[in-house]
Amino acid sequence: MYGWIWRHLPGNAWVKAVISLVLVLAIVFVLFQWVFPWAEPLLPFNDVTVNGGGSAG
Amino acid sequence: MTLTVRGTVRALSELCVTVGVLILLLVVYLLYWTGVRANHAMDREVSALQDRWARTPVSSARPSPATTLNGRPAAHGTGSPASAAYREGQPFAIMYIPRFGADWHKPVLQGTGTDDLQHGLGHYAGTARLGGQGNFAVAGHRRTYGDPFEDFPELRPGDKVVLTDGVTWYTYLIDKPPYLTLPDDTGVIDPLPAPLDRSATPYPAPGRYLTLTTCDPPWGHSHRLIAWGHLDATQPVAQGMPRALLS
Repeated sequence: MYGWIWRHLPGNAWVKAVISLVLVLAIVFVLFQWVFPWAEPLLPFNDVTVNGGGSAG
Repeated sequence: MTLTVRGTVRALSELCVTVGVLILLLVVYLLYWTGVRANHAMDREVSALQDRWARTPVSSARPSPATTLNGRPAAHGTGSPASAAYREGQPFAIMYIPRFGADWHKPVLQGTGTDDLQHGLGHYAGTARLGGQGNFAVAGHRRTYGDPFEDFPELRPGDKVVLTDGVTWYTYLIDKPPYLTLPDDTGVIDPLPAPLDRSATPYPAPGRYLTLTTCDPPWGHSHRLIAWGHLDATQPVAQGMPRALLS
């Protein structure tokens, strides 16, 4: 998969490296900004209330 | 043939590395980033509260519930922190617990939704107002989002929990070591706390109580830790901080 991406990036090795870095940063940003905040309430660390059934919170 | 085997192995190992990096990033997010965000959000809520209190003259405090503020019913007004109804998702008080550290203070927001608890401690809707007759019940994260109740098990009888709504300082005293119970033990936040285990009932008669709740074990959700206290003293903010916070 990563080899395939590397082969399909344009430019020489340096350009490819820079594009890869930007891609990685973009993916980390998307994860921290949207994916993890969505996934986190599904994990058990949020249940601090006594609302029966462990509702959100 | 060798090519497909090699390709499969490579794809599998890349998948493993990817999943590993994802899990690592999630751990960084939970341990570090939620704390950064929550501390930022809590600081913002605290300054918003202090700004609002600074703009509201203390002398106009404590009108009776029927009084109107600027012609609006007090229940909908924002002028007086003491009499206005708590608005969902809005901070209305700051809590200090010296046991958790001399500078430990967190905003208390109305509601115990996921979003409320990411910005501070959450006041259970339907429980008593701060300092009111009944049970003022508050939930907080033990882990993640700034770990506000990280040291919850350290609470001991006699520990002070001090709150202010910008008009009055309320000092509650913790009465029992934290009580371990199940998530559906909703009686612990009743006006007169009534846990499932009757022998753990903290108070014989109605009064002005405080209940704090968080999760146990720290990273789990199988149980809850509960701490009960009673209102010990109140004093107007004009008289300065209560002694509990000065020592």
